[in-house]
Order: sequence, then structure tokens, then C-alpha cells
Amino acid sequence: MGTNLLDAELVKRVQAGDKAAFDILVQKYQHKVVNLISRFVSDQTECYDIAQDAFIKAYRAIGNFRGDSQFYTWLYRIAANTAKNHLASRARKSPTYSVDVEDAEHFEGESGLKEYTTPENLLLTDEIEKTVFKAIEALPEDLKSAITLREIEGLSYEEIAEVMGCPIGTVRSRIFRARDAIDKELRPLLE
Amino acid sequence: MTEQQDKISFLLDEFSGDEQSRAVLDEIEGDVNLQYNMRRYQMIGQVMRHELPRHVNIDFTADVMAHINQIENPAMTDNSRVDIANRQSIWTWAVMKPFAGMAIAVSVAMISITLWQSSSVNSNSEPTSDQIVSIDQQKIDRLVSQSVQANAVVVSSSLHNGMRWKIDNNAPALQQKLNAYLVNHTEYSNSMQGLIPQARVAGFDAQN
Repeated sequence: MGTNLLDAELVKRVQAGDKAAFDILVQKYQHKVVNLISRFVSDQTECYDIAQDAFIKAYRAIGNFRGDSQFYTWLYRIAANTAKNHLASRARKSPTYSVDVEDAEHFEGESGLKEYTTPENLLLTDEIEKTVFKAIEALPEDLKSAITLREIEGLSYEEIAEVMGCPIGTVRSRIFRARDAIDKELRPLLE
Repeated sequence: MTEQQDKISFLLDEFSGDEQSRAVLDEIEGDVNLQYNMRRYQMIGQVMRHELPRHVNIDFTADVMAHINQIENPAMTDNSRVDIANRQSIWTWAVMKPFAGMAIAVSVAMISITLWQSSSVNSNSEPTSDQIVSIDQQKIDRLVSQSVQANAVVVSSSLHNGMRWKIDNNAPALQQKLNAYLVNHTEYSNSMQGLIPQARVAGFDAQN
């Protein structure tokens, strides 16, 4: 519920011209959107390009978003349509590249856009996952349970408090301490 | 900082929309470090739910926002901006060059006309050299009509700086005449015509 309210507040701010609020929405949903698009398009670089298009379309259309549905439902619809349109336009355009053998090594294809699928990015993903799971393993049991119930099961603080038999304030503190401990390990990778 | 991080953690899960949580959101929007903090907290959840794509791109958000800024301000990249600015200045100069030449010519003509007019105005308001001479002549005639003693003026050419008239102090009429001439000359030399470069020497030595 809290996350939907947060989305609604961020959308309202973007509609009022606050671009920083859209930045937070992109951060929040970028990976979900890329994963959604990767179901249509196998190439990861293309996925990021389409995701970028989808977010730009969303930004331009956000003035018309009336909040009838949840923001992520609306965003996913835009992302899925963008991916489908991309596939349709690719099917219409047969590959007509004529590339010399000598140039083939440097050929970037149709888009020539930024390369996202570098070995460094692949390595970074591996390192992030390993670091986070290792940090979770190292957490005390009560912190580990609290963060797992929140992030994987999606329970609210109130529900977690019921499950764990502790006050909501304690749940809040446990979840924060768990995040803080994991963040201390994660931060050096992303800086 | 820990207090702020705790607020971010709570905001991500339990945003209520009240004043307090809005204030926290304002704080996050205004602080890049807090935004990075929020982003890492979100990433922890995404990793736990296996939502991370195969290739994580940490610049993605910045790229999207840069594109949006570019769309909103279609002011292009710096290079193209400089290029177009150069092209504009070249185009402007090519078009404006004949006009600039004409403008200079017109300015010169205007200045000439203005100078000529002011010279005419001055001519109208101040006596010409002929008039001066005639005025002088009247004065001279008036003075000459007075009795001037013979041998009152001795012209000497022995001095180095041209000819000098030595005036006899006992010839007040001639002194008056020369004084009138000097006054007349001074007035004339302060006028526009007096500015025209030419040598004017006027003076007399009193002979004791």
C-alpha cells in the first residue's frame, strides 16, 4: 500500500513539473521494465534502448495519467507496447547492412547506441548479487527474517509485526538495520 | 545521516502521504547522496527478488533523464550548437556585409553633411574673412580718419622671426587700431573657421 501511495505522490509531483520525482520512478522500475522487455527481445542492449524509449514515452504521457490504474501497471503497458512496436518495425525492415569484413569488428548495428551488454556490466551484476546474498547470510536471524518478509513476501510492517510478534517500531528498526548492513557491503561496488 | 537513512527505509515501505513523509521525500529529491542511498535500498530488494537484469547499467537513470532534458530543451549537443552558431555568424556576415559597407558610406556622408552644415551655420553667424576684412577696414578707416602721427610705426626686418612693427607709444590711434585688430583676431580664432590650420601671427611691440 505504501509503495502505491509513494508512486501516486511521485506521479503527482512529475505532473506538477518536478523532474527529480520522475528520476526516482525510473530508479525504482528500471530493472522490472528491462526484465519485462527481455521477454520480447533477447538482446540486452536492445532491451535497454527500448526501456529508455518506454520511460521517455511515459514521461511525455504522464500528464494524461489519471491514476485509474496503478502507475506500474500503466508503465508496464507502455513498455510492452514499445517492445512490440520495436519488433514489428524490425520485421518490416529486413537487415540490409553491407559491412566490410574489416569493419565488422567495429560495427554497432542499426542503432549505434550505447553498449549496455559489456563484460564489465555482466561482472558487476554477478558481484552485486553475490555481495547482497553474502551480506544477508551474515545478518542476525531477526534482521534476516524481517527483511525477507518485507522484500520477498511483500508484507506490510503491521503484518510483519504480527508474524514476528513484536511492535511495528521494532520491525521498522530491524528492516533498516538489515538494509544498512547490506548497504555497507554494496556501496563500494556502485561508487 | 543514520536517522535520514532510517527515514528513507521507512518511506520506501510505508509512505503514508502525510506531511512528514512528504518532507522526507522533499529531502531526498534535494540531496543526491540520499537519492543514491534510496537507489541502493531499492536494489537490495530487487536482488532478493531476482529482478536484476543480466547486465546492470548503473547509468541508465542518468541516460533517461539526459534524453528527457534534451527533448524538453531541444538545444542540441554542445558541438552542434557551436557548429550552428558558426554557420549563423557566417551567414549573417555574408548577408550583412553589403549593408555594413553601405552603413559606413552613409555615416561618412552624414558626418560630411553635418560638418558642412555646421560650417554654413557658423558662416551665417560669424563673419567671413571678407566680412572681417571689411569690418576691419571700417575700423581702420575710422582710426585713420583720426590723426596719426608720421613715423609712428617703424617696420623692422632685422629680427629672426619675421617682420615686426615697432609701435611708437606716442601714437595711441595706431595702438587702438592694432588692439582692435587683435580683439577681432581672437574672436575669429575661437570660431569654427579659426580652427582651420593656418598660421596667423599678430602682435606688436610697444616702442618705448
